[in-house]
Amino acid sequence: MGNKQTIFTAQQLDAYQDCTFFTRKEILRLFDRYRDLAPQLVPLDYTDQPDVRLPYELIGSMPELKDNPFRQRIAEVFSEDGEGNMTLDDFLDMFSVLSEMAPRDLKAYYAFKIYDFNNDDFLCKSDLEKTLNKLTRNELTEDEVRMVCEKVIDEADLDNDGRLSLEDFQHMIVRAPDFLSTFHIRI
Amino acid sequence: MEFSELQRQSSTIAHGYHGAQQLMRLQSKSVVSNQNGPQFNWGSPPSEGGEEGDVGPPKDLRERPMTMRLKRAIREVQQMRVPVVTSWQSWKRSKAKSLSRFRADAGGVMSYVALWRKALHKIGGHFGGGVQSYFMFLRFLVVLNFLSFLLIAGFILIPSIVFRSTSTSNMTVDSTGPEVCKVYDPNLQGLVVFYQYFLDLLSGTGFMEYSYMFYGYYNNTVAESSGFHYNLPLAYLLTSVFYFTFCLICIVARMGSALRVAVATGSGAAGSYSKMVFTGWDYGCQGDRATKLKQKSIHYQLQVDLEEERLQKKALSLTLGQTVGLCSLHIFLMLVSLALIGGAFFGIFKATVFSQAQVGAEGILGLFWVYLPSIVITTGNFVVPFMCDQIALFERYSPSTTIIMALFRSVFLRMISLGVLLFTLWSQITCFKDSPKCELCQYNNKEYPCWETRVGQEMYKLALFDFLITIAMLFLVEFPRRLVVDHYSCALTRWVGRQEFLVPPNVLGLVYGQTVVWTGALFCPLLPLINTLKFFILFYCKKVTLFSNCRPAVKTFRSTTSTIFFLVVLLFGWGLALVAMIYSLAQIHPSMSCGPFRSLTMMWSIVPNTFDTLSLTTQDFIFYMGSQAFSIPLFIFSCVVLCYVAALAAVYGKSVDLLKAQLKLEGRDKQFLVKQIEELSREMGVPTRDQLDTFDTGAAN
Repeated sequence: MGNKQTIFTAQQLDAYQDCTFFTRKEILRLFDRYRDLAPQLVPLDYTDQPDVRLPYELIGSMPELKDNPFRQRIAEVFSEDGEGNMTLDDFLDMFSVLSEMAPRDLKAYYAFKIYDFNNDDFLCKSDLEKTLNKLTRNELTEDEVRMVCEKVIDEADLDNDGRLSLEDFQHMIVRAPDFLSTFHIRI
Repeated sequence: MEFSELQRQSSTIAHGYHGAQQLMRLQSKSVVSNQNGPQFNWGSPPSEGGEEGDVGPPKDLRERPMTMRLKRAIREVQQMRVPVVTSWQSWKRSKAKSLSRFRADAGGVMSYVALWRKALHKIGGHFGGGVQSYFMFLRFLVVLNFLSFLLIAGFILIPSIVFRSTSTSNMTVDSTGPEVCKVYDPNLQGLVVFYQYFLDLLSGTGFMEYSYMFYGYYNNTVAESSGFHYNLPLAYLLTSVFYFTFCLICIVARMGSALRVAVATGSGAAGSYSKMVFTGWDYGCQGDRATKLKQKSIHYQLQVDLEEERLQKKALSLTLGQTVGLCSLHIFLMLVSLALIGGAFFGIFKATVFSQAQVGAEGILGLFWVYLPSIVITTGNFVVPFMCDQIALFERYSPSTTIIMALFRSVFLRMISLGVLLFTLWSQITCFKDSPKCELCQYNNKEYPCWETRVGQEMYKLALFDFLITIAMLFLVEFPRRLVVDHYSCALTRWVGRQEFLVPPNVLGLVYGQTVVWTGALFCPLLPLINTLKFFILFYCKKVTLFSNCRPAVKTFRSTTSTIFFLVVLLFGWGLALVAMIYSLAQIHPSMSCGPFRSLTMMWSIVPNTFDTLSLTTQDFIFYMGSQAFSIPLFIFSCVVLCYVAALAAVYGKSVDLLKAQLKLEGRDKQFLVKQIEELSREMGVPTRDQLDTFDTGAAN
């Protein structure tokens, strides 16, 4: 701890501390987790900001994400290239938003993007159907999926355009007290 | 237009900044892809009015939903732009920053100290929030009992030990009354059979009876030595009263935080589908098995919700005859279950009377008679809910109503069975039937020379038996069940399956144990300590059985696993214990042969007696506080505050409704305008936005 680490410069660590919800120790621990995924790809010296990008398959094999049905969407949302290949910055960003200190609005924004499968900034019926199928492992019948989607849009759509915008989603999240504790990965 | 404005602003800053090109590339991508997303105002100064700037921009920055590169770039720009502040402000800002860093580090250290943090997290990850809430409730009870024990030890136990060892400086006041009432011989035999110690440990008699464990051992010493004055009976009474108040405050405080969230989010029924879909998935869930189970649970929950709606629609469409039939069926089955519960109460009453009559029986049979009330209560708690569940199959309520009804029946049964036991004991002690036994000492001194110790022993036995039964169930039922189910697979074992960890019955067990402790704390001061140890061991035992023997429950209902529900039931238990304590303090004559209140006619009368010894000014002050001149203005003032708060809440509720209606209207306006634009553009032959988009993506490819 302290000044002995040589992975980052002091300014880099400061910048990470200001831009995420992690402390120094946690950032170094997360770097170790990132490096453990591919020790030959990730250098031990990040002072010159190397452009190292881990492919999605490695990210998706982490124990925290391995069994999550939304892991692909999570990786896509937080990666720069939108394909799921993450740099260290993306990695830290992702776990910062999913940590317990992130505020509700920030988490709601990213949750909205995760559930928005076609990236059109609205949760339309097809997005909801895909979400439901991932939630229940495709075990609901067609009728049931249709009914639940209709009910969700009925409940949450405030401006009556048949699909959920970010504001509708955030308004619904305000009334769900569980959200902060379920949208949370501890690492 | 937003894009070009941002580009212009960023280009002015980008001069001389090496990351500018990266920035513009990132910005263009982020702006085009999310026009709904939040935008960062590059032109804003870092400290606006000094409020934002006190903790500094860093706090604001990490709450913005941008990529890390963008955030770091913004941070560098903000740091480059040196704000014009005085040295005092910059010192204040740097101190605030280091303070927040320190607080974050301290929080990290404190979370290591929190009891069982890792275990709770692991349980939550594998079995879900419902089971985790049970274990968190258990942890709360362990801490509550431990703090209560510290309270009691500090004010009752340690002074008692000190005064006993320095017996010269105290004075005991003997009671005035018939000599026969003062006889109390707690059976201090010299040489006993070797297993007698074990039997005594289990039933609280023998060597345990005349010890710090029970009420009878404490003297009514008033210690006075060189200016130090300690009135032990008063301390005993006030500590007990404060113990109850302390527990109430803890429970209400814990409930307050949960209730605040519940009230803010409104009723749970509205928006349940969208909540289930968007917040139902627990991202912390790890492991293939846990994930599959979670998915099954969500599936089941959605099916149940849809089924309930179907049932509700059907219920609305019933004819009059069918409704009448259904109502009469409900009433009949309710009467049947009440009869079952009443039968259990009668059994407890009879068992208690019989057990109290068998005092003095020897050996294992004696132990059995002594434990008879506990055995009957525990049997009743198993058999009656099981039979009520069978009855509930005929009742044809909706699933959630069925579970809530079953829970209320169980709570009713458990609490009232304890109440029946207490009532029986008290009626024996004070001879409700006005028999001549109680004429001499105002309590039944022949059978209960020191009745408080006997009540304490009863409560001790209840607590111990509850613990032993739980451990026995673990080893004799759950482990074998798992072994059988895992190693022999036939149709029967597959149907029975592994044990399911049902949260509500387990929580009721905890509440029952805690109620027993509250009832018995006045008579058995070490009971909170015993309970702390009991719950501590229970945590580990339940954890072991959870991970080895149980499968998570597929059917969970959020309302029944919520903290508020647990705390409400705990308050029921507290209320029952409070009634028992008030009755003991104010109605029954304390034993004349033992205990700190032996010279008084009523336990509470120590307070008025001590009151008379206070100085005149203190007495006047306290009289004034109780008089009308003080209490009526206080009452009026609190009414005014209450009205104000209620009015504030009503106004907020109304403004929330108004804003919701306004949001709907704006949505309709937006749709109307969009339709008009589309019509106009169609008439004028201008391509619409959709057509433009397809053209763009086509060009990019």
